[in-house]
Amino acid sequence: MPETFYTIVDVFTRTLSGFLDAAVVTLQLTAVGIVLGCLLGLFFALLKLSKSKPLQLIANIYITIIRGTPLIVQIVFLYYGIAEFVTLSNFQAGAIALGVHSGAYIAEIFRGAIQGIDKGQSEASSSLGMTKTQSMRRIIFPQALKRSIPPLGNQFIITLKDSSLVYVIGVAELFSLANREAAQSFKPFETYVVVGLYYLVLVMIFTYLLHLYEKKLDVDKD
Amino acid sequence: MLTAKDIHKSFGELEVLKGVDLHVSPQEVVVLVGVSGSGKSTLLRCFNFLEMINSGEIIIDGKSVNSKKDNLSKIRAEVGMVFQHFNLFPHKTVLENIIEAPMMVKKKKKEEAMIHAKKLLEKVGLSDKADVYPNKLSGGQKQRVAIARSLAMEPKVMLFDEPTSALDPELVSEVLGVMRQLAQEGMTMVVVTHEMRFAREVADRIVMIDEGQIIESADPKTFFENPSQERTKQFIQLVG
Repeated sequence: MPETFYTIVDVFTRTLSGFLDAAVVTLQLTAVGIVLGCLLGLFFALLKLSKSKPLQLIANIYITIIRGTPLIVQIVFLYYGIAEFVTLSNFQAGAIALGVHSGAYIAEIFRGAIQGIDKGQSEASSSLGMTKTQSMRRIIFPQALKRSIPPLGNQFIITLKDSSLVYVIGVAELFSLANREAAQSFKPFETYVVVGLYYLVLVMIFTYLLHLYEKKLDVDKD
Repeated sequence: MLTAKDIHKSFGELEVLKGVDLHVSPQEVVVLVGVSGSGKSTLLRCFNFLEMINSGEIIIDGKSVNSKKDNLSKIRAEVGMVFQHFNLFPHKTVLENIIEAPMMVKKKKKEEAMIHAKKLLEKVGLSDKADVYPNKLSGGQKQRVAIARSLAMEPKVMLFDEPTSALDPELVSEVLGVMRQLAQEGMTMVVVTHEMRFAREVADRIVMIDEGQIIESADPKTFFENPSQERTKQFIQLVG
């Protein structure tokens, strides 16, 4: 056991600079994925909540397809599948796939949160002469957003871990590097333990930041 | 100020309003009474189009409102509404609750809206609560803020939908006090309430709704002492 421990430490120090670079790429993928996912999520949540049947249908199709197919398929589809029509770099394809994928789940998070806001809130804003858009923007959505934060946090963590699947199109993120390291060094056990630790630490930092943010929101309010 | 002509309203199969006619003059205080399920709240909600009528006509300040064509937001801005459950915005302070609509809807400047809001808070006796969030207020305080929030839009008529029904008994009078003061200042008001003492003392007219129709409309003295309908007599006995 102590020997294994030393080889893990050895692998860790030897790969440190490489993994740190790769961690930055993982974080970049995650950041783009989350931002894009939130934008798409909000957009499709609003479509789904609109009164227009065609718009609802569009949102339902998006959500059904994305939730019904594996992320890894979506990644290779965006990179190789549509290469004839649109050329994306592997980072772009990976980041967009993560965004489009998480967007379907985030749409449902937002939809649920918006629908969960008491009807009295929109009635009160209507009765004050606010339009539907004003009421959504100023009254309903801020409250819904606050309620979305715990499930959104979960989704962000999933996106962070899902970014490992982008290895399949060769983006130099943590998991790609780990695969290469493991093969070259003949130390798969130690290498995968190390890369696992990177993800674990990132997720823990993320969780902690979310926790701080939630606490900050709770001050003074309901 | 506010006229309803032959209002019909159904929820699915259930016909809640079966041809209601009501006219409210400027500065008049009309109290709507009736047992629960009689349609009085629905009628009130039709007046600012939170419920859409199936047929009939609603005339506000001389203008017949077509709920399909007209800009309802604009019309609602002139009709204040106070709800049973207050419906304050929990993510905004008391002051922010009050200035929100004047700024968004009337495009008032923030400073101007704040000056007006502070005056209104003084009026409802809550000047010291401007910067607190609604969850720190009692029910009576919440309802007074809700009244101030409605008044901030300078409505032509105020609708009250059971404004004291969700309150602890000891908090009822502070809200009724504010409403009484409004009535004295000449605000046109339509009030759905079970507070018979308030109706007796403040109303110009009491209107009894039963099974979706107006069955009695009289000044408080006549209403309580000499009602024309048997149902009204029963109701008065019931509510004391």
